Amino acid sequence: MATVSQTSRFGNMFWTILAWVIALLFFFPIFWMIFTSFKTDADAVKPEFLFSFTPTLENYVNMTENYDYWRFAINSVITSTFATLLALVVGIPAAYAMAFDPSRHTKDILVWMLSTKMLPAAAVLYPMTFLTKNFLDIFDTHFLVIVVLCLINLPIVIWMLFTYFKEIPKEIIEAGKMDGVTTWGEIKDILIPLAWGGVASTALLTFIFCWNEAYWTVRLTTTEAATLSKLIEGNRAPEGLFFGRLSAVSTAAVGPIVVLGWFCQKQLVRGLTFGAVK
Amino acid sequence: MAKRTLPRLLQTPAVVLLLLWMLVPLSMTLFFSFIRYVLNSFNRPEWTSPSLSNWRGFGNYEYVLFNAKDFWFAVQNSLFIVVSILLLTVVLGLALAMLVNRSFPGRGIVRVLLISPFFVMPAVNAVLWINMILDPVLGLNGIAVAGINEIVNGLKDFPVLGAFFSLWPEIVPMSFRATQTSAYAVIIMVTWQWTPFAVLIFMTSLQSEDESQKEAAILDGATAWSRFRNLTVPHLARPIAIVVMIQSIFHLSLYAEIEIVSRGNGNKNLPYLIGEFTSNNIGAASATGIFAVILANIVAIFLLRMVGKNMMD
Repeated sequence: MATVSQTSRFGNMFWTILAWVIALLFFFPIFWMIFTSFKTDADAVKPEFLFSFTPTLENYVNMTENYDYWRFAINSVITSTFATLLALVVGIPAAYAMAFDPSRHTKDILVWMLSTKMLPAAAVLYPMTFLTKNFLDIFDTHFLVIVVLCLINLPIVIWMLFTYFKEIPKEIIEAGKMDGVTTWGEIKDILIPLAWGGVASTALLTFIFCWNEAYWTVRLTTTEAATLSKLIEGNRAPEGLFFGRLSAVSTAAVGPIVVLGWFCQKQLVRGLTFGAVK
Repeated sequence: MAKRTLPRLLQTPAVVLLLLWMLVPLSMTLFFSFIRYVLNSFNRPEWTSPSLSNWRGFGNYEYVLFNAKDFWFAVQNSLFIVVSILLLTVVLGLALAMLVNRSFPGRGIVRVLLISPFFVMPAVNAVLWINMILDPVLGLNGIAVAGINEIVNGLKDFPVLGAFFSLWPEIVPMSFRATQTSAYAVIIMVTWQWTPFAVLIFMTSLQSEDESQKEAAILDGATAWSRFRNLTVPHLARPIAIVVMIQSIFHLSLYAEIEIVSRGNGNKNLPYLIGEFTSNNIGAASATGIFAVILANIVAIFLLRMVGKNMMD
């Protein structure tokens, strides 16, 4: 008996250490980016300063000068925030109707919505450029980026909200109807307070997806509405002469989002598998 | 009747917006794919505006399939990248999910560390890996190889053993921007980013596994391996299928990583090829786009079936 528990204790310790080592390895590139952001560009490429160096905040201080970071960051904040809000405004009523008053087409509509998400963006690259540049004259505007980000995330938003709303007992909504509450009142006073957690995590996840989007935000903007994705893709510094400053601007671009992501890792599964994995 | 109108009304904005978003650009692509349409042409200025009089039938499709030099390479390479990433993420994801799905000290932190790569924006992921990690001179790859060479060189001066080490060749660090290797760089960085996704999904699924069934199997004397094969694997079949399909959809349209690593040199996929055509030959770009839609649809149909089956319970 004693030997069994002992081997399993050693076994346990082995697996625990292995889990830690692998987790640290996975985190290492992010750590390395943060670490390098405190080196000067000159130090960052010298092997003798790999681990011992004089830390400096120079890269962060000069971020505006080197990359005009804040302009892109503000664009990212504006477009991601408004795209998320717009998606919720359009998505909440739709998900409400689908969850509490489904018709026999509801299932088909939901599946169709998802299918729009699977359309390869590149296939409509030129028409989108053509329409927004020559026809609608909204190329490189915040408005365009907000609408596009909203549309590419709308299917996921509706799906997530739908799965959350379905967990609310129908009777509660019906009771509201009996009491003569209007639909708007139902959504505002009954549904949203009850599904608050679900709505919040949907919003958070949508915000993350908007922030990280790297196809349309790069290709439908030039300067005015360009986001952080565009900033990084435009400054890839092929021979790596600017490791320090590149690390600083990268850290500033992904740091807040990675932290946000930690808070909604559980909802991520629901959001990305459309409720198919529970 | 009035009872039915309101729910329909509430769905209308979402449905109409998505319908426009899908139909308008796609029908334009379809139209462009059947006409001669280039952005610059000195000899044939009439081709530079989209018009029915430039009708070309299936000519663009023929050109893309048989004459454009990169189409088949792009298809092949798309599949190579996607399949490699899928194999790596599923195997790594399963192993890590099993590893983390136990209680041990610091489990919460381990989970947070493991999931982090997934939230890094693709452009930063690519810039970080290709420059600071994989670069053969300045990156950790180059520094590590130089370090190993230095150690081996030092050992050559040793008595007796030195003779052995002097047989060792100088190692040359692999360059990941070269034509032959740029696809590997993309595979490595995307695997790093998406393994956490697989881990998260498998972990969620493992937690819903029927523990009493497992305990019964232990009492019946089933080995750990047979428990894994006969209970866990069937339980995970569905999440594995979901991970495979969702990732296929995302990775078939990789772009930023390919652009940043080598600007498509030696490593193209269909979206990248479309991007290249779009700089002038819109007809060919559109025909390639239609092929990409077909390829994505083949994957999507399976996924939608699975999701649709499960959604109403």
